[in-house]
Amino acid sequence: MEDLDSNTTVFSTLRSLNNFISQRMEGMSGLATPGSSQSSLQMQYQQRMQLEEQAGQIHSKSQLLQVEREKMQMELSHKRARIELEKAANTNARNYEREADRNQELLTRIKQYQERETEAENKLKEQMEMNKSYKKSMETMSKKLQEKESKLAEANETITILKGKISDLQWNIMNQEMQMTNQDSQKQELMEQLDVEKKNSSYKFQLAHCCPPSHVFQDLEQKLSQQEHDALIVKNMKAELARFPKMERELRQLREENAYFREMKENNGLLKEEVEGLQRKLERYEKVQAQLVTVELENEKLLGKLQSWEKLDQSTGLNIRTPDDLSRQIVALQQRELALKEQNSTFMNSARMLEKARQQLQEDLLRVQSQLVDEKKKREHQEALVRRLQKRVVLLTKERDGMRAILESYDSELTPAEHSPQLSRRMREAEELVQKLHAHHAELEAQLSQVLEEVGNHKQRAEMVSSINFPFFPRLKIEELEAERSKLAEENRSLEMKLEKLTLQGDYDPSRTKVLHFSMNPTSLAKQQRKEEQQQLQEECERLRELVRVLEGGGSISATREGVGSFQSPQEVAELKKQVESAELKNQRLKEVFQTKIQEFRKVCYTLTGYQIDITTENQYRLSSIYAEHQGDCLLFKASSSSGGKMQLLETEFSRTIRELIELHLLRQDSIPAFLSALTLDLFSRQTIA
Amino acid sequence: MAFHQELSREHQGITLRGSAELVAEFFSYGINSILYQRGIYPPETFTRVQKYGLTLLVTTDPELTNYLNNVTEQMKEWLYKCIVQRLVVVITSIESSEVLERWQFDIECDKTAKDDNGPREKSQKAIQDEIRSVIRQITATVTFLPLLESACAFDLLIYTDKDLAVPEKWEESGPQFIANSEEVRLRSFTTTIHKVNTMVAYK
Repeated sequence: MEDLDSNTTVFSTLRSLNNFISQRMEGMSGLATPGSSQSSLQMQYQQRMQLEEQAGQIHSKSQLLQVEREKMQMELSHKRARIELEKAANTNARNYEREADRNQELLTRIKQYQERETEAENKLKEQMEMNKSYKKSMETMSKKLQEKESKLAEANETITILKGKISDLQWNIMNQEMQMTNQDSQKQELMEQLDVEKKNSSYKFQLAHCCPPSHVFQDLEQKLSQQEHDALIVKNMKAELARFPKMERELRQLREENAYFREMKENNGLLKEEVEGLQRKLERYEKVQAQLVTVELENEKLLGKLQSWEKLDQSTGLNIRTPDDLSRQIVALQQRELALKEQNSTFMNSARMLEKARQQLQEDLLRVQSQLVDEKKKREHQEALVRRLQKRVVLLTKERDGMRAILESYDSELTPAEHSPQLSRRMREAEELVQKLHAHHAELEAQLSQVLEEVGNHKQRAEMVSSINFPFFPRLKIEELEAERSKLAEENRSLEMKLEKLTLQGDYDPSRTKVLHFSMNPTSLAKQQRKEEQQQLQEECERLRELVRVLEGGGSISATREGVGSFQSPQEVAELKKQVESAELKNQRLKEVFQTKIQEFRKVCYTLTGYQIDITTENQYRLSSIYAEHQGDCLLFKASSSSGGKMQLLETEFSRTIRELIELHLLRQDSIPAFLSALTLDLFSRQTIA
Repeated sequence: MAFHQELSREHQGITLRGSAELVAEFFSYGINSILYQRGIYPPETFTRVQKYGLTLLVTTDPELTNYLNNVTEQMKEWLYKCIVQRLVVVITSIESSEVLERWQFDIECDKTAKDDNGPREKSQKAIQDEIRSVIRQITATVTFLPLLESACAFDLLIYTDKDLAVPEKWEESGPQFIANSEEVRLRSFTTTIHKVNTMVAYK
């Protein structure tokens, strides 16, 4: 539609231009006497006013158009925005997918980490176990340590005891030394006394020498005795003193001995420990010995057992030398037992099967026996029948004989010439009857024999069955029957399977069942709809084919139009027509608007510049001034390119009269507007002068 | 077909009428479920309904509802008379008229229930539990059934006794077998009067 619009605008502009030109031509005749009357100016004014009004209207319309265009642009931008949004949505969706991928990756990572965690947990458990074991070992170690500590404490105690002894001994030594010092001090005292005594004695001696009184003598004697006594004591003391170094020596010896004893004590401790260790060992050995005794006892017992086993082996005659042999023997025995059990079960099964077969056969026998009874009954019945028939035969023969006798009597009574044919006929009839009877009789006899035979057969079969049923029935028969039975069972199973499958597939027994459905069910409706649709489509296809044929055959447009008309629905046609009408109306309006607008524009140009510009031919513009002296005075310009960038003045009759202006403004100044303005001024001045 | 119905006829329980109603109702919901699950009708034409402790989808299409109601009513009558043997949902391709799936509900009627009017001992709840598991299984079968690619329509075939007079609007039909079909037997349920074995055959 837009293309159409643009085309119409071109056309309409051209037309409006033509219109204007023609108007102008008319107007020019009116303008032949310029400025002569005021009324014409008034008219012009009014015209201009009208034109302005029109211009206003046109302006508003153009605004409307602009608004419409803006709306279009808005729509376009809206579409663009939507496209962008869709793109954004796409990118978002892609991002989302990427996120989902990442999510999955993360999930896998999480799984990995979980696995690692489980591994770590396992390790942790192992470590814990190891830790526990270490703790246990630690406990044992600590126990040992405690034992060691207790031992150490014991040792310390012994050490303290020993130290106490040592201190006692030192005490003894100290006492002895004290005694020695006491004795020394006593000795010194004694020595001093001795000195004093000596001095006294000497003095006394001197005294005695000097003045020897009796009592002094006595005193002196006493003193002497005393002295003697003292001397004795001193001697004793001296002896004791002499003993002192010996005692010191003894003391040294004792100290040495003491040290020696200490060493001995240590040795003794060591030895004691050794002794203890040895005692422990001894205890252990004793225990071991006791165990040994018990073990020997056990050994003897076991030997006895073994011998008994070996004896067993000898007694049983089996090759049992070792437990392995025994176990092997047991396994073999178990296997044998299993095999025997299996055999037993198979035998049981066969026995059961045989029992079943026997029961079946008994049933058969019963059936056969009942059949036999039936047959016997039948035979009796048949025999009775036969007897009855025989009786009837006898009766009939008797009747026949009677009839014959009667006939003979008739024959004898009547003349044979008269009645012979009648009689002979009767005879024949009677004979035929007899023959029929004979035939009937024979038939019955044959039936009887057949029945008898059948009975015999049945008897035989019964006998056979009874013989089969007898405990010593032939094995082959049973096996055959068994095989047949199993075959039949298998067949039955396969048939059941088939039946099951068929029921699954929806099979049914048409003799018992019938399949119903609602006549207006969705499937048939859908099918019908489809059929109708297909028919419609076929019809349409047919019509179109015809149309194509017409077109190929160069048919007239009307025919095709008819075809198209018939093809298109009338509604569509009406719609299209409406569209066309509206488009045409729009075109018309546009044309009118353009025409008025162009005329207005041209008039405005004319009044403002003083030149009317007409297009004579392509790229040629004719300018005629408002102040032209003659109607035909005009200037011709030719555009060098279609865009109208450069103009060239073409020579006309009028242009030849204004050479100075051309030379001045065009050739020198190269300005068409200046030239035109100069010309306007020139012409205006000429007019006003005139 | 060695299914023995264990009948116990003591205490209060389910009657023949009640059993027929229950089974017909099951057919209605079962067929709706199949139609939704197999996409025979567009999913937006279904609405959610709570039944048997499940959320089931039931059609809102008026024509289809009408059709199903017709069939269900008829089924109820026949179930009451114990003359219906089987209900089959046949799914056919509209384009090729080929049968693609057959959902078969074999019905075993205990005809002795017609004579004695005493109700059977089986609670409504126990029956509904069985029905629920059947419908669950129908829903689950969608996972292994092949996708129905072409447009499809369905038909309901009812296998009845031979001596039945064909009612108005009904007509005899073929069994609509599937050639070379795969069959799967689903769960069954029983009201002690009617036993329904469900199976599906597909191409």
